[in-house]
This record gives sequence, structure tokens and C-alpha cells, in this order.
Amino acid sequence: MTAPRAALSRAALAFALFPLLALLAPLVAREKPWVSGRLGETVLSAPVPFDPDAVDLDRRLAPPGRRHLFGTDELGRDVLSRALHGARLSVAAGLLASALALGLGAALGTLAGWAGGRTDRAVLLFLQIVQALPALVLVIAGAAFLKPSFLVAALLIALTGWTDSARLVRAGTQRLRNEAFVDAARASGASTARLLFVHVLPHALPPALATLPYVLGSAVLTEAGLSFLGLGTPPPAASWGRALAEARGLLPGAWWCVLPPAVALFFLVWTARRLGDAFLGRRGDVQSRLA
Amino acid sequence: MLRFALRRVASAVLTLLGVLALVFGLVTAAPGDAAALAARAGGNRAVAVSPEALAAFRHLYGLDRPVAERFLTWVWRAVRLDFGRSLVDGQPVTLRVARALPTTFALNLAALLLACVIGVPLGVAAARRPAGRLDRISGFLCDALFSTPSFVVGLVLLLVFSGWLRVTPLFADAETGLRGFLLPVVTLALASLAFVARFVRVCVATALADPAALAGRARGEGPSEEIRRALRRSSAPFAAMGAALVPSVVSGSILVERVFSLPGAGGLLAEAVFARDLPTVLALTLLSAVVVVAASLAADLVTAALDPRTVREDVPAAGGVAA
Repeated sequence: MTAPRAALSRAALAFALFPLLALLAPLVAREKPWVSGRLGETVLSAPVPFDPDAVDLDRRLAPPGRRHLFGTDELGRDVLSRALHGARLSVAAGLLASALALGLGAALGTLAGWAGGRTDRAVLLFLQIVQALPALVLVIAGAAFLKPSFLVAALLIALTGWTDSARLVRAGTQRLRNEAFVDAARASGASTARLLFVHVLPHALPPALATLPYVLGSAVLTEAGLSFLGLGTPPPAASWGRALAEARGLLPGAWWCVLPPAVALFFLVWTARRLGDAFLGRRGDVQSRLA
Repeated sequence: MLRFALRRVASAVLTLLGVLALVFGLVTAAPGDAAALAARAGGNRAVAVSPEALAAFRHLYGLDRPVAERFLTWVWRAVRLDFGRSLVDGQPVTLRVARALPTTFALNLAALLLACVIGVPLGVAAARRPAGRLDRISGFLCDALFSTPSFVVGLVLLLVFSGWLRVTPLFADAETGLRGFLLPVVTLALASLAFVARFVRVCVATALADPAALAGRARGEGPSEEIRRALRRSSAPFAAMGAALVPSVVSGSILVERVFSLPGAGGLLAEAVFARDLPTVLALTLLSAVVVVAASLAADLVTAALDPRTVREDVPAAGGVAA
């Protein structure tokens, strides 16, 4: 469990690039110049001087070139600008969904581990039921009943991603429930809430926290898949998954529409997984994920 | 053993009942009931339907009965594979699903086979020399594959092989035959391949580091004999690996079928969701749950047969891993 500190900070820095990109996208990629002259002329334009939604029908499907570094899509929108803005959606969906999943998993895991008995069995059964449905199937089925939106997608993804952390927190809580220091706190009259939040959770939560990067990675993948199927955040918001679905229709031409979102998606998930590996001090070891 | 098997079967049935309840709960809780949906099914805009007609429709389909009774009726019909008629073309849902299944089944089976045929030898080769060159390279590649969604792999393969090299068709149809199946199978296999290779590597490396392996070496076992025995000793986790693959392959095949526009069950699910064709969505959701639960049950029974120690443990094996 002792992760080399340098590897951890490297992984954290690499991963932090994406939230940074997401935050800065509206500044880096916009039509409005950074500095305008008095007459409205451009003195210093933004590095990517195109709004992500700006349609330019005269320059549809332009290949990469001087004006559009990564070309334009079917509607003449700048591919680079859309890829940059797409980071906002993917990063936000990943962060929100994994945070919700962790919260749900921690709550149910604590409940099961602390209460034990019938409650424990009920939570385990619920866990088994959720795991019986492949993540994407559950998310798609949910999307069939609800109106597609960013929040619905994040909630549905969280609903599939909480099982691992619930297992971990449940095991931790079970182990701690009868520890001497918890007994001591109980004997000195601590309330259940105090026992849980002050004495149990600080020890039971870290293993689940360490898996958060993996949960985030698979949440991003599921969100992209949902968007690819057209069930994610509705247009015109820039999204990598939908950009790839649109690019599918343009093949075999317009390869420049495929690569930017594909590469961005890969690196976001890859850096997240690297961060998880660095936390756990191991590399690509799948067996322990199965336990 | 028999008691264990019976208990696992009972638990699997209970899980499936839970899935039924969950899905039924989703339908019941969703805004707008089947009557309102059917009234809308003709077009996107709501048609003016008199309240009497809606009430008659509800009575006809038993929607005015208590929830518990409807649930039991529905479960009974689902058990007999009767999922009603599709809201899209009025055909029985079972028929539509049955027509799409062979494609999906062939795709998934071929992908799993390909993943194992390449993944197992790769994992074994990597395990022979932990931290050797092959281990590092294959570890890096597998890590990269884990981070790439299957539809991205599919798109890039399409771009290269259909777009630039023009050796495979862009859209699979009856004329292209098996050639059209090539890229989808490879795409779906690649995602599982990474998992299989890494899993086998860990299992075999553990088995090779075992005192039993040392004893074998002392008896004068050759390298191939050593690997054979190591594989044999780690056979029980392989069953769990198979079960863990199933959910991710099912999820992956939905996207892969979409990328290559294959007329399979995954494509049908995506279509049905768009058309708000609830009977079809429900049938396919249940089907995928049945497949996953059956695979996990089979893996548990195989594990118990291979390694009787597991029978004593009360905890059912983890069903799946994050895809």
C-alpha cells in the first residue's frame, strides 16, 4: 500500500490536466478575442478562436488546416473547440457520478455492516440484483423511461457504480464494529451517529476512496457510451460520445472528426486509471478487482 | 455439494425475481402509463383520446388492477416468455428478440473465443517472466485497452481497415457475409482480451511462485509440464473470470453492434429505447440479467466442483466487475 510518492504526484498531475482543461475550455476556445481594440478589431484572439456551437456552412467538413487546426465537422463547427468543450461534460459526468456512487455505496455499506442480520442480507440482495444487470443495460433501460439529461445520466451511472464501494465499506464496518476503541466510545455514551462518523467511517472509507479513480474511469466510459447511443446529454452541448456517433456516419471520409474525441476520451480514462493504480501502489493487477 | 448447489440456484432465482421487481418498479413509477404511451405510439405528438377510451384501454389490459396482481401476472407471463407485442410494429416481442439473437450470440461467442485463444497464451507467456520485457509490454497494452471504450476501438478499426485500406466493408449486410463480421468480433474481443491476459498472468504467476511449483521443479519437471500444472492449479479462478467477462461483453456488444450497424439484440435495444418500445426494452433487459445470473451460477458451481473448499464459504462469489 505504500505508493511511491513521486509516481503518485505524477499520476495526479496528469489526471488534473483534464479538469483544468474543462475549466479553461470557455477561455481557450471562444470566438470573442482576448483583447479587442477600440474599434472592435482583434488584437489578441483566443488560441482556438471558434465557439463550439458556431455553425459555418461554407466550411463544412474542412480537413485540418491553418484556420481550423483539427478541421470542421458536418455543420462546419470547429472540431478542436468542440473536443475542448466536450471535456467539460465528460469530466463533470465522471466526477458527479463517481461521487454519487461513493456516497450511495458508503451509505448502504455502512448500513449493512453496522446493522447486520436481516438488513445486511437485504442490502446484499439489492447489490446482487444491480450486479445482475450489465451496467450499460441498466443505464439504457433507465434512459428509456426518463427524459435524457445530464443529471439523469449521472444518476443512472451512479446507480450502477456503487456496488464495489459498498462491499468495501461494508467489510470495513463489520470489522470495526466490535473493535475495542469503538466499544470504548460506545461505553462512554457516544451516539450512533458519533460512533459512525467519528470512529468507524474514517477507517472504513479510505479503501473505497482509493477505488474512486476506477469508478470515475468507468463512469466516463459509460457516459460516453450513452452519448454515443444518443441517450446522454441532449444536443447542442459538445460531447465526445455524440461527436463519435456523428463521425461514424461520415466514415470513410472525415477521419479528423474521429480522432480528437477518441484520443481525448482514451487519455481521460487512462490517466484516471493510472491515478487509481498509483493509489494502490500496483500496476494493472486485475485479480484484486475481482475480489 | 448438493446443498450448496441448491442454495446457489435458489439465490439466483431470488436475484432474477429481484430484477423483475426492479424493472417492474421502473415501469410503474415512470410518468405516463402504457395507455398514455400507446395513445402516443402512432406519432410524436399526443393524439386527443377521450378519457373513456383510455379507461377502456386500461381495463382491457388490466391496468386498473392492483399493483401486486399486475406484478404476479407479469412475472407469470415473463416466465412463459410472453412479453406482449412491440409498440413499434405490433409483432410479438419474443419473435423480434429471437430474430436478433443469433447475430448477437455468434458475435459474443466468437469474440470470447478469440479473446481466450490469444489472451491465455499471452498471459502465460507474460507470467513466465514477471517484470520481463513481454510482461511489461503486454501490461502496458492491456492497460491501454482497458481505458478505451469498445466503440472507440471499433471506430478506429473501421477508419483504418474500411476507410484507408478498404479490406472490410463499412456496413455489414447479408452480401458481405463473414467478412462483415470480422471487425466487430475483433473489436469486442480486444476489450475482453486485455482482461483475460492480465487475469491469467496474475493467476499463473501466483501458481508459479507457489511452493508446489518449486517442488515440481525439484522433481525435474520441464518448463511445459510446469506451466501445465500451474494452469491446472489455478483453474478455479478461471471459472470466475468467465463469469466476470459476461456483463462487460454484453455491455460492449450493444455499442459494437451499433458501430457496425449489425442487426443484433444490442441494436434492437438501442432502437427500442428510442422508440419508447417498453415491452421490447423490458424483455431485453431481463434477457441480459438471465444471461449474467446464469453465467455467475455456472461459474460458482464449476468452482465448487474444482475446489471443494469454496463450498464451505457462505458468501456467494462476486457477480461482476466494472466493465
